[in-house]
Amino acid sequence: MTQYILRRVLYLIPTFFGATFLAFLIIQLAPGDYLTQMELDPKVTPETIARLRSQFGLDQPIYVQYLLWMNNLFHLNLGYSFSYQAPVLEVIWPRVVNSMWIVIPSTLLLYLVAIPIGVYGAVRPYSFGDKLFSFLAYVGLSVPSFFLALIAIYVLLQIKFKTGVLLFPVGGMTSSGFEQMGRLEQIKDILWHLVVPVLLATANDIAGLSRLMRGQMMEVLGQDYIRTARAKGLSERVVIYKHAFRNAVIPFVATLGGLLPSLISGAGFIEVVMAWPGITPFFLDAIANQDLYVIAGFLTVGLVLLLLGNLLSDLLLAWVDPRIRYF
Amino acid sequence: MRKTAFWLMAAAGVLGASLAQAQAFVWPQKWTTAKLSEVKRGGTLRGSTISDYRTFNPFLAAESGNIPSVMCGPGGLVRRDPTTGEWIPYMAESWTISPNKLDITFKIRKGLKFSDGRPITADDWVTTWRIHTDKAVGSNSYDSFFIDGKPIVVRKIDDYTLRISYPKTDAEAFAVASYCPWPAHVFGPVYQKEGAEGIKKMWTLSEKPENIVSPGPWVLESYTPGERVVLRRNPNFGEWNKDEAGNPLPYLDRYEIRIVKDTNAQLAAFLAGEIDVYAPSTVDQISQVRQAIQQGRLDATIKVNASPVASSQFIVFNWNKASDPFKQALFRSDKFRKAMSHLINRQAVIDLVYGGLGTPMYTSVYPVLTQWINPKVPKYEYDPKQAAKLLSELGFTRKDREGYLVDSRGRRLEFTLATNAGNAQREQMAKLFVDEAKKVGVKVNFTPIDFNTLVGQLLSSGPDRPFDAILIGLSGGGLDWPFGSNVVPCKGNLHMWNKSGQCLDPRETQLDALYSRGRTELDFKKRQQIGYQMQEIEAQLLPVLYIAGPNYHPAWNNRLGGEHPDAILSSIWGQRELELTFIKK
Repeated sequence: MTQYILRRVLYLIPTFFGATFLAFLIIQLAPGDYLTQMELDPKVTPETIARLRSQFGLDQPIYVQYLLWMNNLFHLNLGYSFSYQAPVLEVIWPRVVNSMWIVIPSTLLLYLVAIPIGVYGAVRPYSFGDKLFSFLAYVGLSVPSFFLALIAIYVLLQIKFKTGVLLFPVGGMTSSGFEQMGRLEQIKDILWHLVVPVLLATANDIAGLSRLMRGQMMEVLGQDYIRTARAKGLSERVVIYKHAFRNAVIPFVATLGGLLPSLISGAGFIEVVMAWPGITPFFLDAIANQDLYVIAGFLTVGLVLLLLGNLLSDLLLAWVDPRIRYF
Repeated sequence: MRKTAFWLMAAAGVLGASLAQAQAFVWPQKWTTAKLSEVKRGGTLRGSTISDYRTFNPFLAAESGNIPSVMCGPGGLVRRDPTTGEWIPYMAESWTISPNKLDITFKIRKGLKFSDGRPITADDWVTTWRIHTDKAVGSNSYDSFFIDGKPIVVRKIDDYTLRISYPKTDAEAFAVASYCPWPAHVFGPVYQKEGAEGIKKMWTLSEKPENIVSPGPWVLESYTPGERVVLRRNPNFGEWNKDEAGNPLPYLDRYEIRIVKDTNAQLAAFLAGEIDVYAPSTVDQISQVRQAIQQGRLDATIKVNASPVASSQFIVFNWNKASDPFKQALFRSDKFRKAMSHLINRQAVIDLVYGGLGTPMYTSVYPVLTQWINPKVPKYEYDPKQAAKLLSELGFTRKDREGYLVDSRGRRLEFTLATNAGNAQREQMAKLFVDEAKKVGVKVNFTPIDFNTLVGQLLSSGPDRPFDAILIGLSGGGLDWPFGSNVVPCKGNLHMWNKSGQCLDPRETQLDALYSRGRTELDFKKRQQIGYQMQEIEAQLLPVLYIAGPNYHPAWNNRLGGEHPDAILSSIWGQRELELTFIKK
């Protein structure tokens, strides 16, 4: 086991360098740079732009820029944002925290909803309930999240126009006057803003997870030992939850590692449409502005979490399933 | 003993300073529709912005509507009167201009104070100018303190007298002098000790709001990343800014700006009554606001087509194509460019791209700058017949089997038109042009390409540049002299049609000379005449073919009072002075 862990950790090193260099290269291959936008500004002279370019180090060859950046990384410094004129970590962190307000509750909700739906579907396959859940899950999967968000906003506005009551806010994370509220009020306000984005973020992923659970469960329910358990005269509930469910849930252990990078990657376009101050709108801005170190820094943090998450998954699986260790 | 005496004197001095009545700047009531009797104090105005804030540091802020510029408001020695466009004294009480017109000496108002209570004096302007013009700081205002590469110098005569010296007479002298003074007592010591590097570390977004000092109507109360900024009234500003009844301004207690990345989300917030001011930009957004108002679901006002927006969209042909003499000769021919102008269906562009809510353009002066628009300028309006006639005069009389025009040597009239991919409005304009061109037998190959690649092509220089024609837009430009300092001169970086580094057409030379003459002419009437003349030459030369631009449609929730009268409700002056805005209910 120790050897296995060591080997896995050693693999991470070349992967990390390869992936970061590739990311850096791809960002740099995009035409132009952070200052290209400024070149169309009638008030700025070319000399000024050239000077800024050398101040930002953008006139250096790519490999030099990469090595400098790597050197900074080893000092745990993700570099400097051009547009914010501040360290990358300092500007990214608050956004990541804001995103977690959506990501963590919606992940919990996802497991709480998707697994029971999957179990129900496996126990009563092709029943009306199973078909209904499948249908709804596929709607959630097939309608893009930003569109769902737009529909939600529309519905909220219509309700407000009809009744004068705004059930939930149509965007943002906090209300006007938030800064003057008490601590408890503030938490309540954020929770009130959270409801719609969390539901939307969950709706998208329910389909995949519940189908996976349903498949696993059906497979397990077809096994011999389940028949044996039933033959012993155990109640159906004990058979399903004590014997089948426990074994069916094992593969989900492997997905836990994958949750790590998703913690920081935000809730995607839902954040943009619902004006949530998360990482997605921020990152899109960085891409549009070609704010090199913000993009590279964020990708690196994501990459490290992905590598760690995969390692964790593999170790968990190896711990659960002895066969894996000897590959 | 001596020390005590000194402290007593110092205390007396401080007292004396605070007892001296500030000489107030009175905000004219004609800048607002509100009557003095209906004005109320207090409340919060809620606005929104599309892009996140990047810094609190006035020397690094570059995004439009940045926090330092909001805090400072109209701050500067001089400001414009929106009803006339004239420069009027603001933080200065008066000025004198030297006989050679190169020095302007400003008398600074006494009693101005920063939000931390320290007086605003000549030192603040000098230090601010010094930091802006330090290359290592990388300030966005750097270039504005130079004319043709020569520096503008700001000198302190005494605490309340300031002299600004210009290397040449300059139409934009007052625009330069209207920069915002930032506290020398905050930035000066750091700059002395650590130079530009020290300045760059100051006032980042993680700085505590209470450490941010403001010279203007607002102080920073809080900033939540990606969410909102909250500004609070600066009471020291009210000591010298009064309405006609002598009430201190602003009336509002707070100004909140929400950061909303998506225009749909902005519209939703306005419809839900979560924000008070909004400027819809598409037909759909306008009709949604209108509907909500008509059906009584939203108590708000919208002024559709209040004015054109100060921006342009145009097609530019590349005059530098040494590798393709046929095309080069064509693109350099004004007859050809006139023919192309006749193929631009400006009305169709306005109808289809701007939903009928746009304004056609014929010269480089934005239609919103009405005092600069020469009404007599010839317009080469949409007229396919005339276009065909001009092209036949150029020798394109026959059509080939595919129906495209060819000259006597069988060369087809064909070129590529590029614009930045993803800009739906420009892509639509380009497609409209392609269709119209095809009708008369001109083959235009439309290719949307990446913005940065496009800019690279457009700004490349030399005798052989890598494009035929590009459709793009510009914004920015002033009320004092609405021509681009790096667009009109032949050596200009944005002289997009000809980047050979020298004038190729005698009319370019003329424009170049007229530009400099206008820029150094201080008499507005004379300058306007030069501007008129330039537009006439532009219309003849057609270095770029202007198409059309969108209009400005301000909207506000009727909680608010104190918007501009219709005459000055425009994209230049905006919908209101924040200082004169109040909450009705």
